[in-house]
Order: sequence, then structure tokens, then C-alpha cells
Amino acid sequence: MNTAALRAVAVFLLTLCVVAGGPAWAGHRGGNEVVIGGAISMTGQYAEPAGRQVNSIKLWVDDVNGRGGLLGHRIALRLLDDKSDTQTAIKLYEKLITEDKVDLVLCPYSSGITEAVANVTERYKMPLVAYGASASTIWEKGRRYIFNIVSVAENFQKGSVHLAKQVGVTKLAIISQDSLFPRQAAKGAKDWAKKLGMDVVLEENYPPKQMDFTALLQKVKAAGAEAIISNSYFADAAAQLRQMREQSLNFKLYSSTVGPALPNFAEQLGPTAEYILGFSLWEPLPAVFGYPGMKEFIDAYEKRYHEKPNYHAGSAYGALQVTEAAVKKAGGFDGEKLREAMATIEVTTIFGRYKVDAKGMNEHEGITFQILRGQRRVVWPEKWAETKAELPMPEWSKR
Amino acid sequence: MERSEVRRLYALALFLLGAYALPFLVGASQGTVHLNERWLGNLATVVVGGLMQGGVYAMFAVGLTLIFGVMRIINAAHGEMVMMGAYLTWVCFFYLGLDPLLSMVLTLPVAFLFGVAVQKLLLNAAVGAPELTGLLITFGLGLVMIYTAELIFTTDFRTIPYAPGTVRLTSTIAVGRNRLVSFVLAVVISMAVFLFLKLTRLGKAVRATALNAEVALVCGINVRRIYLVTTGLAAALAAAGGALVSIQFGFNPETGVVYTLQAFAIIILGGRGHYVGALIGGVMLAVLENLVSLMVPNGTAMVELAAYGLMIAVLLIRPGGLMGVKEG
Repeated sequence: MNTAALRAVAVFLLTLCVVAGGPAWAGHRGGNEVVIGGAISMTGQYAEPAGRQVNSIKLWVDDVNGRGGLLGHRIALRLLDDKSDTQTAIKLYEKLITEDKVDLVLCPYSSGITEAVANVTERYKMPLVAYGASASTIWEKGRRYIFNIVSVAENFQKGSVHLAKQVGVTKLAIISQDSLFPRQAAKGAKDWAKKLGMDVVLEENYPPKQMDFTALLQKVKAAGAEAIISNSYFADAAAQLRQMREQSLNFKLYSSTVGPALPNFAEQLGPTAEYILGFSLWEPLPAVFGYPGMKEFIDAYEKRYHEKPNYHAGSAYGALQVTEAAVKKAGGFDGEKLREAMATIEVTTIFGRYKVDAKGMNEHEGITFQILRGQRRVVWPEKWAETKAELPMPEWSKR
Repeated sequence: MERSEVRRLYALALFLLGAYALPFLVGASQGTVHLNERWLGNLATVVVGGLMQGGVYAMFAVGLTLIFGVMRIINAAHGEMVMMGAYLTWVCFFYLGLDPLLSMVLTLPVAFLFGVAVQKLLLNAAVGAPELTGLLITFGLGLVMIYTAELIFTTDFRTIPYAPGTVRLTSTIAVGRNRLVSFVLAVVISMAVFLFLKLTRLGKAVRATALNAEVALVCGINVRRIYLVTTGLAAALAAAGGALVSIQFGFNPETGVVYTLQAFAIIILGGRGHYVGALIGGVMLAVLENLVSLMVPNGTAMVELAAYGLMIAVLLIRPGGLMGVKEG
């Protein structure tokens, strides 16, 4: 081995020492610094929505530091990647809390990962406001240190069911992908239909891989349903709409939970997506909602990331505003006092009003939109409607 | 034909009759079967729809069965090749403004060359090696394809704004035009591959290689070239399937695995290495899935149970698959 090679090896080994030593030094902080840490999905299947939340987290940290910090402390952010994997998330939170001794914890993304992480944060009595979890089951197990800011899955179809009632639908079909979140949404839709006096003539689940809905759609029609409430994502909602069109099956209303809210659904599906309903927790429309600071947030976000914030970005920023207000109310970072503050505080963020019930759940109100001429337009609730819903949907042959 | 084999064929016929009658029986007991014109129209639509869907399934499967038949390699990256076809079509549509079906003129040769490259660089090493080697190599290839696609296209879902027109076969039976086209394409391609293998010189060489590569080599067949053609053809078939996926469903880089599984189930059912078997297997699976979905209460949740149940039962009665040769 020549000298150059030896030197290269030496440099490599030194680098290793520095890198390995890194985390040990990270625990150290100046007297005037607080460490806020969390793990969120920067890669893997949740990278798209969670990445938007990472954007908001970074924006918030810089905003607060720009205003002179949290209770006068500069925030040091320690953000890790859980790779969209529950086990990794659990390990990282253990490490953040016990080794890095963070003062405050951030939330992961998705109901599944959030529920797993909640067990860790609960054990160490670290309170947090969840911005990426909507399965109500998380708050039904007596946990004390986790709060939520978004709507529960059961309310995702609330607006669509109300709109169905308005256009005189009496018979509904509810079809859902066979997994936790869509099933919860289906349960909610059924309850709302019952409250409004409508008949659910068919309720059916399909496997996540299902591509052919010919038979299911025929069954829906044969059952006499006038509207379809579909608890679906992108691929399945797209296939259902296409096959409705192929077979010329006309319904007064079609609503899907997640698919249409994804930014490129309307563009990629074109005319087939027209007139359908979708749900969103929030839209970047300050003129409609009028929450304080909303316009400033949207402008700052757009300037930094060159796109408008979506509801994932909005919910993360809103939850961090709640956290900030709670820290101020508690006057410090003590877990017990902070928990008390998060449980009792009432505050209006850029995402809406936050005030939790005894279980720790916020009653956030989402919006129902309709895709009209390629644009998502808010049609429900009435107080926020940008336009009147164009229902019943025109027949395929008349488009 | 030996007596035991005849007996097995009877058993198979009886079983299939039972399997397809079961949804009707369940439906009749649950009151979802009505013998009026409207319901019969529904039934006919669903059966025709299954037939058409089966054609698309078969399109995926023919390519997989081709590689297996000739080289005894299970191509675990087959679904990713379908996905590649879908993205190629998508790019042609959004950047070149080409019609999704017309763009096959462009995408199939590209896919063929991709297949040739894969054979040259990767699969040649796996021919003749234990079956696990080919499986691992293609599995790795599939992962590389998924993450490359994620780098270029992100994990966002895509589809093509292709508004399917309706073809009315009778007053009650309506089918999407794209499905009809898909089905015709699948039948034509499966038949063309079948005839190519039966009648042409190159096709006979492929079959000879499939039967025994060493003897084929001794007879003066350029076996390496046959392998190149086979994988190229299989990749092109996958890409054709991908074009049909792009106009019917949504896709992202990770959806390929669904198509691998689907194709695998079909070739096992139809008979490994059998081309018409793939078509029959695809149609049988799709029609059964549709019948269960239509008549059994909450049946759509059980379509996978029905499909894989059918597959396992057929294999128990006839291990080589429906059209398969007896395994020796």
C-alpha cells in the first residue's frame, strides 16, 4: 500500500470517528437553545404527503427563530427519516427522547405510524399534537399525551352525504377499499346517511389490488342506488369512474375520499373526473376561510417551495402553532404542564380552530369540493362554498 | 390416453362446473339472482366484461410464460416491465401528444430493445443455473426499475385522460371501447405468438430450444440469438399490457408487483409455458371474479379468495395447469 492510499484510509477512519461521534455531541446545547425532534417519512410510500409536512416544519422553525425564538430560546431542529416504516419510527423516537433528550417531539405521518409512536411518547410523558393521523381509534384507548388537529375519518364523507340529501337522493351505495381508513370513513358515511333518513342499499368492500369494478358497479345499479359514496384512493377511484363511463352507468352523485384531493387527479383523468365530489381538510383559500395569518403562511410557503401548500402542509403548520401557544401558556417545556395546556387551550391557527374534547380530539371541519372544469371548487359547507354544487351529475351521453 | 388421466379430466370438468355454479347457488339462496330481463342483462354485461378483462390479464401473462417456457426463468421483473410500458405511453401522450394505442408503434420497439439488453447483460448468466438464480436476478432488476422510476416520475399516481367510448353490443350489454380493443389485441397477439412458434422457422427454433437447448445447439440453432428474441418479445408484450393499463387504471412505480402476481397466477392456472393456456387462464380468472362479485353478498371482498382457490384446486387435480403437459 502506498502513502497516498494509507492517507486516504486514515482520512476515512477519522471521518467515521467524527460521524459516529456526531449524535453524542448533538445532545449538548447552548444555554439558550431548545431541541425539537421528530421522525417523519422523507422516503418510502408516504414521502409525498409527509414531505409537504417537512416543508411546513422547517418554515415554522425559521419563523419562530426569526421572531426571537420560543420563550426566548433558539430552536434547534432534529428531524430524522423513518422511511415510512413503523419499526424504524419507534426506534428513532426512543433514541430522540432518551439519547438526544429533545425538549419537544414532532409527529410522524399516517395513522398507523402515529399510533405506534404514541405508545413511546406516552411512556415518556411527552405531549404532542398529531397532524397526520385521522383514525379515531388512536384516541379511543385512553392515551393522555396525544392530541389531534385534523378531522376524523368518519367525517370525510359528511359533506357528500348532505349534498346527496339536498339533491333528493334516497338510496345510497357505499363501496370501500378493504383497509383501516376507508372502512372508518364508510362507517361514518353510513351513520350520516341514517341520520339524514337515507337508505344504504349496498355496502361492499373490495381488495386494495382490485382493478375491475364492472361487476361491482352493475351490482350497485341493480340494487337501485342513485349515488355512490366511494372510500377510495387514486387508482381505484380512477378505475371506478372510467368503468362507469364505459358502461354508461349514470348516478346522481359520486364521491371519493382521497383520490380527487391529490393534486393531479383532475388533470390526469380529464373529462371523466368532472362533477365528482372529493374531500379536503383545508385548502389554501384565505378569502374563503379568513383564518388569521393564513395569507402570510401561504405566501411564505409558496415563495420558499414554489408551490401552494396543500392540506398536509397546512395541518402541520397549524399543529405547530398550537404547540407554540401551549408552550407559552405552560411557561416552559415540562411535559405535565404542557399536556395540561394542550388539553385546555383554545386557539385559532392558519388551519382553523383548535379545542380538544376529553379524549384529545379536535373538531376540525373539513370541506367538500367538486371538480368543475378541471378545478376543485368548495361546495360544502355552505358558509365556505365558493360555488353551488352542480348536481345531479349530467349523464355520460350528454357530456 | 391413460385411464387415470381421463379420470382426472372428468374430475377437472366436474370441479369447474361446480366452481362456476357456486356463485349462482349462493346468489339464489341470498335472493340476488332474478330471472328477469334486466338482471340477465347485468349478468351478460358482467360475463362479457370478465372476458374482456381476461384478455388484458392474458396480455401480461403471455410474456411471462414465454420467458419461462424457453429459459425456465421466472421473470420477477415482469410487472415492472408492464409499468415501464405504462410510463412510456404516458410520456408519449403528455410530451409528444400521441394516442395511447398508436404510441405502441414507438414504445414496443423500445421495450423490445430493453428486453434484448436485459438478456445480454443479466439473464444470460442465469440460463441453465438453478431456478433461484434467475428469480433473484430479475427481482433485483425489478427493484432497480422501481426506484429509477421513482427518481424520474416521483411516487405520484398517473393515468392518461382517455375518455373511453361505449360500444353497445345489445340494448342491455355495454362494453368500453378500450376494453374491446384490448381484448382483440390480446387475442391477436397471443394467437400470433402461438402461430409464430408453430409455423415459422425461428419459432420452431425457439420451441426446439425450449425442449432441449443443448440438442438445439448441436442442430445448428443459434441459441443465444433465440434467447435475445424471446426476452425482447416478452418485454414488448409487457409494454403492450402497460399501454392498456395506462388508459384503464392509475399507476405509480410501485404498482408493477400487482401485475407480476396476476400474470403468475394466470400462467400457473393455464399451464406454464403454454400460450393459449395463458389466454384461457386469464379469461377464466376474470369471469369467475366477476360472477362472485356480482352475486355473492360483499363478494367483491372475496374475489381474491375465489381466484386463488380456483388456482390451487386446479393444480391439485392437474399439477401442470389446465393446458399443461404432464410433469415428468
